Amino acid sequence: MTTEPQFETVDMMLNMGPQHPATHGVFRMVLTVDGEMVVDVTPHIGYLHRGSERLAEVESYGQVITLFDRVDYIANLNNELAWVRAGEKMMEVEAPERAQYIRVILAELNRIASHLLFIGTYAIDLGAMTPVMYCFRERERIENLFEHVTGARMMHNYMRIGGVRSDVPDDFVPWVRRLVGEVRKGVEESDNLLSTNEVFLGRTRGVGVIDGPSAVSCGLTGPALRGSGVPYDVRKDDPYEIYPYLNYKVPVGENGDCWDRYYLRVLECYESLSMVEQCLNQLPDGPIMAAGRRIARPPAGEVYVHSENPRGDLGVYLVSDGTDKPYRVKIRPPSFCNLVGLRPMTKGSYIADAVAILGSLDIVLGEVDR
Amino acid sequence: MALEGNNDAQSLPLFVPQKWDREKGGHFFHTDEGGDESLGKGNHPAPNRISGTVPGVITAKLDDLIAMGRSNSLWTLTFGLACCAIEMISTHMAHHDFDRFGIVTWPSPRQSDVMIIAGTVVKKMADPIRLLYEQMPDPKWVIAMGTCATSGGPYYKSYSVVMGVDHIIPVDIYIPGCPPRPEALMDAFMKLQTKIKSDAKNHQIDDLRDSVEQIAPAPAPDAALVADSVPIATEGTAG
Amino acid sequence: MTEQEPQATPDAPAAAEKPARHGPPIVVAEEVLNERGEETAAQLARTLGTLVLDAAGREDTPWVRVDAAELHEAAKKCRDGEMSMDMLNLMLAVDWVDRIQMVYVLYSTTNNRKAILKADLPAELPTIDSLTDLWEAATWYERETHDLFGVEFPGNSDMSPLLLYEGFEGHPGLKSYPLNDYEEW
Repeated sequence: MTTEPQFETVDMMLNMGPQHPATHGVFRMVLTVDGEMVVDVTPHIGYLHRGSERLAEVESYGQVITLFDRVDYIANLNNELAWVRAGEKMMEVEAPERAQYIRVILAELNRIASHLLFIGTYAIDLGAMTPVMYCFRERERIENLFEHVTGARMMHNYMRIGGVRSDVPDDFVPWVRRLVGEVRKGVEESDNLLSTNEVFLGRTRGVGVIDGPSAVSCGLTGPALRGSGVPYDVRKDDPYEIYPYLNYKVPVGENGDCWDRYYLRVLECYESLSMVEQCLNQLPDGPIMAAGRRIARPPAGEVYVHSENPRGDLGVYLVSDGTDKPYRVKIRPPSFCNLVGLRPMTKGSYIADAVAILGSLDIVLGEVDR
Repeated sequence: MALEGNNDAQSLPLFVPQKWDREKGGHFFHTDEGGDESLGKGNHPAPNRISGTVPGVITAKLDDLIAMGRSNSLWTLTFGLACCAIEMISTHMAHHDFDRFGIVTWPSPRQSDVMIIAGTVVKKMADPIRLLYEQMPDPKWVIAMGTCATSGGPYYKSYSVVMGVDHIIPVDIYIPGCPPRPEALMDAFMKLQTKIKSDAKNHQIDDLRDSVEQIAPAPAPDAALVADSVPIATEGTAG
Repeated sequence: MTEQEPQATPDAPAAAEKPARHGPPIVVAEEVLNERGEETAAQLARTLGTLVLDAAGREDTPWVRVDAAELHEAAKKCRDGEMSMDMLNLMLAVDWVDRIQMVYVLYSTTNNRKAILKADLPAELPTIDSLTDLWEAATWYERETHDLFGVEFPGNSDMSPLLLYEGFEGHPGLKSYPLNDYEEW
């Protein structure tokens, strides 16, 4: 790209439209390219804006749980956990310990399922068609467990303000122990296939670099931020539920490129598996729902609660006016903020790298658009 | 509504939705004025040319064969909008394999047969969906997966959601569920295969009827018999 | 649509009882800061000084209310001073019917502290200075707030619609926008 062109050239605008196999949903990117090099990128979102925040104002606190399931539709239980904790903080109740352990076990398993989907779809974006089959096979195992416990494969509607809806079945602990062993083998399989593969390294090493301070200024959180060396994890910095009783490490990258963001998600899978085992060892007996009113009618006030989703820091700002419906619900979606960092990462790379960078951010359009 | 606009990537036509008026002829079905009900609503491909020129028994088996070929090799457009897309992807993957039906997912609309609308249809997305539908060549079918595509779903009465994709394109199969299980999606495809084969048979019946009409038109009813009979249709009944 | 009662808020005096309401009376939450929150509140008071109009907080997150014209200055002091709030975690607008309140949640990755800044804007023609020169995350938040609430941000170079399509009439985030009167399209 350093030779002077002998003729006049004009930058071309290339549309990666809302329907594209590599845009992870209905996301539209308009790339301004000079030859093969991307000069500028303009993301267009809003193709899945369903008005969840506004609908939450006309639904009661229990009904909003179903809306939150569908905000980040890959990590459902983590969303539910954020909303339910916001409601609990507002109502000043605390869930009993058994309920908190069950919630954390399910949330961590959902984190693993989400990261498996990321590994699979990232690989297929870059052209590797095998890991996606293996990753989805492991996801089926986890979804089987969810169906056994909550009744649904995807939209669980299981957590409630004050606990969970129903107790886990009797064979929960041996089932999950077996599951952890199987999923660990599955993650290792995909890890061995991809992480040190020369073609994969060539596609992702040194691509989409962003440094720590600009990442923080852009509002990135989660693995996208930890890949650049900033060790911000809500579970460690602002702990909630029973995370203080667990022993785990948070992987942090160095270079801020796509491979770092990918590999630390793989390491997070292993950490989550060990966390689930610790929870199973510590799972106490007891009630699963706090005593209290059936209909949530919290006192008027405002509260901000954030939790660590697989994609970043999901925040819920809840304003209540004392009635049984929220006054204002604002969801801070991690993928929305991660997309602000797409532009500084993509400028100056090639078109194929734009696909790799978008994949490494791991966006979910249901969350971006709400 | 006609989609005008240049194909210049700088100013892609953005959809400003107007109120869709069913009476003024805003329906998108392929049926003619007569509205051939026996062929069913939704999409039905045009009859093949041979049956128009050489009607009768020779092409009946050919139509069946073509329908069997089409139904056992449906290529779907990769078009997942929201949560149902995850279940759609799961159905394509190893556990609930879709490839055994001959269904592969194909990124280009110009070479695919079926469009699965998996997820909520938002007004901003209505224009691209219509564009994609028109880019697909005949024969094509549409499956509305999940309650959001069927009727708006949990986002009913939201300000930016289209209450069901059949306001925009004609739909053949509706799948309820939020999200529907992979087995439900497979059942929908099996029903679509049945529909393709039975539509082909219905074509044959019509062609046969037309060709018999040409050779031996039905005789006019006997005037003597008609005069004594009591007319059935009166003003009250619908015409 | 149920009628909303925006008067019962912690930062406005409680209104007289409305006789038409059924159900239990509205309880207003007590806002109590814990130890860490007190430290952060003290830092905020030192940083912002006379800009503060109201201050309170809940658990470990203190909030302060500043004048809308001085918000940019207050945010800059929070970012550059001892608090070093280098991340704009969240920005939202709340539609109390007589006014629109902008809420900014700031976070410091070095100190691990959260703080909330609030500013009140009038209900017609709400305008506030853009914070895009302080944090890049503000660009998209401001576009979204403009779409949904109609708040103007002079200083933000790109105000095209983000979540809604071009040509959408009205601002759906406002309470006055008819939600359940929607007609089938």
